[in-house]
Formats: sequence, structure tokens, C-alpha cells
Amino acid sequence: MNIFKRLHDYREFLRTSIKKEIRGKYKKSFLGILWSFLNPLLMLMVYAIIFPIILKSPEKNYVMFLMVALIPWNFFTTAITQGTGTVIVNGGILKKVYFPREILPISIVTSALINFLISCIIVFVFLIFTGIGFSIYFVFFPLIVLIEYIFLLGIVFILSSITVYLRDLEHIIGVIIMVLFYGTPIVYSLNTIPSNLLWIFKLNPMAYIVQGYRDILYYQTMPDVSGLFFIFVLSLILLIVGYHIFNKLQKNFAEEL
Amino acid sequence: MTKKMKTGDIAIRVNDVDKSFKVYFDKANTLKERLLFLGRNGHENREVLSDISLTIKKGETVALIGVNGSGKSTLLKLMTKIIYPDKGTIETYGKLVSLLELGAGFHPDFSGRENIYFNASIFGLSKKEIDDRIDDIIAFSELKDYIDNPVRTYSSGMYMRLAFSIAINVDADILLIDEILAVGDQHFQDRCYEKMMDLKRQGKTMVFVTHSMDAVRKYCDRAVWIYQGRIKKDGPTNEVVDEYLKMCS
Repeated sequence: MNIFKRLHDYREFLRTSIKKEIRGKYKKSFLGILWSFLNPLLMLMVYAIIFPIILKSPEKNYVMFLMVALIPWNFFTTAITQGTGTVIVNGGILKKVYFPREILPISIVTSALINFLISCIIVFVFLIFTGIGFSIYFVFFPLIVLIEYIFLLGIVFILSSITVYLRDLEHIIGVIIMVLFYGTPIVYSLNTIPSNLLWIFKLNPMAYIVQGYRDILYYQTMPDVSGLFFIFVLSLILLIVGYHIFNKLQKNFAEEL
Repeated sequence: MTKKMKTGDIAIRVNDVDKSFKVYFDKANTLKERLLFLGRNGHENREVLSDISLTIKKGETVALIGVNGSGKSTLLKLMTKIIYPDKGTIETYGKLVSLLELGAGFHPDFSGRENIYFNASIFGLSKKEIDDRIDDIIAFSELKDYIDNPVRTYSSGMYMRLAFSIAINVDADILLIDEILAVGDQHFQDRCYEKMMDLKRQGKTMVFVTHSMDAVRKYCDRAVWIYQGRIKKDGPTNEVVDEYLKMCS
């Protein structure tokens, strides 16, 4: 397929875009890339102080219970919110030079992935500190990351291209993300959900992914392999469909922007 | 004659291309507006190009001439694939670089050197290819020590010089050039033309859009006169330019 050839020809541009995305985020800030460490660290500290006071959770270690789910969730929201606007933000350059347009969504999702992996280091350090440690199920970690990456890439392809024609999408997405936050087992555990409501979670791909991280990192049990496999296939389909939508819509980007 | 030509000799082939732009009276961008004004979405199609067929051979230097708004720049944009035709096809063979908008994607906070890497990568160069060219680019731009200063501190002349130096050193097979000959002072312009003649001798294909008929006569083998979105005359430079000037006066 010639998309791979195009991406290979423009690999230096892809690399500099990702770099600019990561470095540009902290450009002119004093601590620079260190913020990628500090953000999750400070967040963790705030929760560690607040939650034991306001919330009596049945979980032994609520802070870690929360963090292993919240960090992957932040990967999701960063990629989606930035990805939705990426074509519009880069409108100026898009109207002036030709380059494979796919590079824009790909570099957003990839830079979010790199930020996520940096944050994960903090989580891993604290997993060790708090005595939870690692188990053999950690081998699933790269697989779940891959699934989430493909899933996000598919969605961002679709959202970034449609937003050009329908600017409201940026705001609608904000609301959907907020609702989805409560529809995903992040602040609570699936065990506390009445069984007649569980079907809602079966419809939410992020629930499988977040629960997957929690199973392998916090509970240290076998994740729901068949569920994750289902999401993997769904993500691949989403990626292919999303790419085709993007490719069809990108032809008019320069005129619509 | 175009049909008999071998594909190997062709740099750009434009086949029966039509292009029109939507001109919105009041663009409905939001969902609310779309729903409210459903059915009376005010736009008209303005035809910019119609029935354009053009074959440019490898090594040719072609000028597109015509009055403002005749569609010359649109044709160049179609060739670079920034926009796509409504009908017809455009094929280009070989690496293509457009000098339509110099310095697109320059990041003001980064130094000239860093911007060389970023800008050249947009043209599809790999890091190694840029490494090989960077000395030539800096030498041609005559920026010397300023190259490590942030681009925002550059004068507009320096900015254009850097941008032009990058584009001209990309080593493309086809160059599309839109009114960039107003770059820098007389000295730099002379060097630009010199460089372009150099590229011409190397067998590069060039397409110019310009209003400077002197430059057209001096550098181009062939001129294409576009009038109201159609090709009015296509042929040897002097013939076409003479007729064009006759009509303008």
C-alpha cells in the first residue's frame, strides 16, 4: 500500500512533528520535559493526601487503584482532544505545502503515547514503593498499550477530518469525554456496579482497556483476554475505516480551512 | 502530439482538468447554522479552470502567464496536490517541490539551523539528506553567523533568503515557482536566477508563474497563456508573450 511508502519518504517530517509536539508542549517552560514526570507525580500526591480523608474505599490502596486507570485514561483524553483539532490548528501550513496529511493525526497520537509511557515510569516506581510490585501478567502491558494506540489512531483519523467540516465536534467531544469518564471504571471498581447495569460497560471499549491495565498492574490477575481481543479487532476495523474517511475528506482540507 | 510522447519523457501531465471553488455567501460552519439554513446553504460554484490539458516534458522551462485571477496559481496548486481537481487527472513524475509559499512551517522560536531541518523535512528529505546539504543551504543563504539565531529575529529579506535556499537545494526533479523572484536584493535575485539556470542545465523541469515578461523571455522555452480559466495560447515564449502584451495594451 502506498501509504507506507509515503510515510517512509516523509519519515523525517513525521519524526520532527512528533518531537515538536512533545517539546512544543513545554516550550519556554522552565522545567521542560520534566513536566511529563511531574504532572502524574503531583497528581498522585494530591490524591494520596485527599482520598484517605474524604473517601472510605474498600480498596487497600486506593491511590494506586486510581492511578493505574487514570494514567491510561489521560492518554485517551489527550490524544482525542488534541487530535480532534490538529488539522485545523495546522491549517496554515496545510494550505501552503504538500505533505502526507496522515502525519498530523499520527504525530498527535504518537506524542501522546510517548507522554503516557513517561508517566507510566512514575506509576511503576510507585507500584514498587507501595509493595504491590509486578507479576507475570505484566507481559500483557505492551499488548494493551498497542490496542489503545490503534484504537486512538482510528478515532483520531475520523474526528480530525470531520471536525474540519463540522467545528462543533470539538465541543461535543468535550462533553462525551466527560460522560465517558464516569462510564469507565476509573474512580470506582466494576465489582461495585449492580449486575443489571453491567451491559453499559460491555459497550464501552475504554472500559475493557482501562480494566485491562488495572487487572495486570493492580489486581495482578489474568486480564479479560477474549474481551481485549474483541477490542483489538474492533480497533483494527476502526483504523482502516477511519483512514479511509480521513483520506476521502483530506482532499478538500485546503479549501475548507 | 501529446499522445505519441513516451511516458518517460513527461514531467507533468494535466488531462481535461476542471476546477471550481465554492464561494460561500455566509459560511455556515456550525451545526446550528447548518440545521437552521438547511436547504438554503448559500454558495455558488465559481469556475476557476476548465478544460485544461497540458503536457510538460522533462527539462522544459515553462511560464504560465495571464492577468490576475486567471487561474495560474490554482493550476500550480493542483500540480502540488494541495488541492484536487473536480474532473480530470494530474500526474507528475519525479520529486516535486513547490516554491509557492516560502518559509511555510518556519517556527519563529527555533534557530535558522533547526528550521532548515524542519522545513526541509516537509519537502520529504531524510535527516541524512539534510545533513549532506546543510552547508550548501547556509552558504547560499549568506546568513553566516545569523544561522544560529532564532528566526523571529530575522529581517524579512533574511527570512526569504533562508526559505529560498532550502527549497532550491532540495534536489527536486520538478520545481514550481510562483512569483518568488521578488526575493531579496538585486544581488540575491541574480544569484537565484543563476542557480535556476544551473538547475535547468541539469535537466530539471520548471514551471513559473510570473508577471515579469522580461524574465519569461529570458529564461523560459515555452509560455502558456491562461485567460479566464482556459488555455488561450501555448507555444514558444516570444510568440505567446507578444500576443499577450498586444492584448493587454
